[in-house]
Amino acid sequence: MSANKILLVDDEEIIVKLLSMSLRSDGYEIVTANSGEQGLEVFKAEDPDIVVTDIKMPGMDGLELLKRIKEIDSEKEVIIVTGHGDIDSTIAALQLGASDFINKPVRDEALAIALKRAKAKISIREKLEEYTENLESKVREATEEIRQKSNFQRLLIRSSNDAIVAFDHDWKVVVYNPEAAKMFGEAAKDVRNKMKIDDLYTPKIAQIFKKQAKEDKQQNTFPWKENIINTKDGRQIPVRYTSNVLHKKGDFVGTVSFFQDLTDIKRLEKELVQSERLAAVGQTVSGLAHYVKNILIGLKGGSYVVDVGIRNNNTEKLITGWETIKNNIKRVGDLTQDLLTYSKQREPEFELCDPNDVANDVIELVIDTAKSNGVSITKELDPGIGEVVLDPQTIHRSLLNLINNAIDACIEDEDLSKEHEVMIKTYKDKNNMFCFEVKDNGCGMDEDIQKQLFDPMFSSKGGKGTGLGLLVTGKLIEEHKGIIETETSPGDGSTFRIKLPIEKVDNG
Amino acid sequence: MSKKVLVVDDDPDVRSFVVTVLEENQYIPLVAQDGVEGLEMIEKEQPDLVILDVLMPRGSGIRLYRKVKTDEELKKIPIIMFTGIALRSFLKSQKALDEFKGGEVPKPDVYLEKPIEPDELALAIKKKIG
Repeated sequence: MSANKILLVDDEEIIVKLLSMSLRSDGYEIVTANSGEQGLEVFKAEDPDIVVTDIKMPGMDGLELLKRIKEIDSEKEVIIVTGHGDIDSTIAALQLGASDFINKPVRDEALAIALKRAKAKISIREKLEEYTENLESKVREATEEIRQKSNFQRLLIRSSNDAIVAFDHDWKVVVYNPEAAKMFGEAAKDVRNKMKIDDLYTPKIAQIFKKQAKEDKQQNTFPWKENIINTKDGRQIPVRYTSNVLHKKGDFVGTVSFFQDLTDIKRLEKELVQSERLAAVGQTVSGLAHYVKNILIGLKGGSYVVDVGIRNNNTEKLITGWETIKNNIKRVGDLTQDLLTYSKQREPEFELCDPNDVANDVIELVIDTAKSNGVSITKELDPGIGEVVLDPQTIHRSLLNLINNAIDACIEDEDLSKEHEVMIKTYKDKNNMFCFEVKDNGCGMDEDIQKQLFDPMFSSKGGKGTGLGLLVTGKLIEEHKGIIETETSPGDGSTFRIKLPIEKVDNG
Repeated sequence: MSKKVLVVDDDPDVRSFVVTVLEENQYIPLVAQDGVEGLEMIEKEQPDLVILDVLMPRGSGIRLYRKVKTDEELKKIPIIMFTGIALRSFLKSQKALDEFKGGEVPKPDVYLEKPIEPDELALAIKKKIG
């Protein structure tokens, strides 16, 4: 913006004319007046950027005009033309806020310099004003933005489905959203800025957060973890949670934690597992029907043999028939047990036991069957395992299933030149897991069979298998938080390895 | 003279049942636990009839059946298939084997599905060999 309009005031008309001509040729727009009164009128009418006025004029003099102009616009640049050595007037003009002085007679150069200075001042002032104005609007905008953002964040925190709780450096609760109130069962007004971490959390959870704050200096987000929260009103809530330790210039300023209520998810998961299990049992029924039919064949055949024994008074027949019946009753019993195990949710019953004892019991059960089918059973039980806390039932059922399968795999093997053997091993691995391994050199499995190993209703044994064995084994091991590994090669045999975590080891 | 009937079945329960039926009907029972043992017995004892299970370890029921039915000497021996699987499944597997191995193996003389009443089994035997 250029200050270009100049009001010239002098009672000597000729001076006004001369200066006007000179300044116009410099590119200024000039308005003039020949008295103080006229000058004031022109000033009001034309609003010049700069006023140049003679100090000595009849009527309203330059000082009075200066005063009036400053009353109207205190910022206006007014240059005073004084007589030589008129110190008193000069001081008075300065006090009234004159911007510059030129001595009479007015020389073009002096005037030009004064005008230039005035213009520069105006320009600086304008820029300053502009800047100030800008600054104000910028601050306004920024404030609004911050307000919106913080509103948004507040809304976000309030409406979040996660429970959000933040603590300051003193572990006082500073953020506590409605979802948190729902989860912890304490009203926000009783918590926010009032409670400390130990008032809100159970000691165990509080400890986790404090420990994390102490250890974390990097402001890391912690991965989601699961835990159970015990609320003060005695509810137990399964949660997923994560937290952030907040630092400012390396100082701990607080933590913020997010909790997700997993109650519904856990319930749904349970229902899903249950319904899948039921569906699987349904699928298994067709496979089972076959198996049941085989049992029926056995029972009918057995009872016929018994009938014949009675009729002919033949003890040998009675014994044979009765054996058959007992055998098949046992098969029904095993089947029922398997079905029950598979269809029910069962928690492992942990107790102190020697897994080698369990393994020996199982071997005792199968050794006759193995022998009569030309399969030898060898064992390598690590005596160093000792007594550990495990569910012996899980080991018994799983091991029995695996060994029976191994014997069947040997019976099924076409290679008669092999010395068929089932090897049972127990040991503790380097992760302190209890392992048992059942290794056979039977027929092995191709990829198709391997894929379906743990499928319900799948059996590679025709009507002689229920299709439940590995299914039940898999479930038992899963409930025991263990894993099953399989290695197999068609024609060379298979190895099944089960690894179970040991709850705690009795050192005594 | 009593006729010899060979039972080839891997299930001891079935063997004792069939053996009892045979004894009760004045046949001489012979037993084998699988197809390999079955073939040995057939060659050694020349039974008048074979009662054969289809599903046995190493696929030996089906194999023994084909072996006997394609052997000039042995194919005159009547075979009663006695099994838990349906006839349709058995024929399907035979057809697949025919295509795979070439040639055609005749259908079994008698096909009985387990379970079976003792009288029914005895009657089927009687019909074949008297």
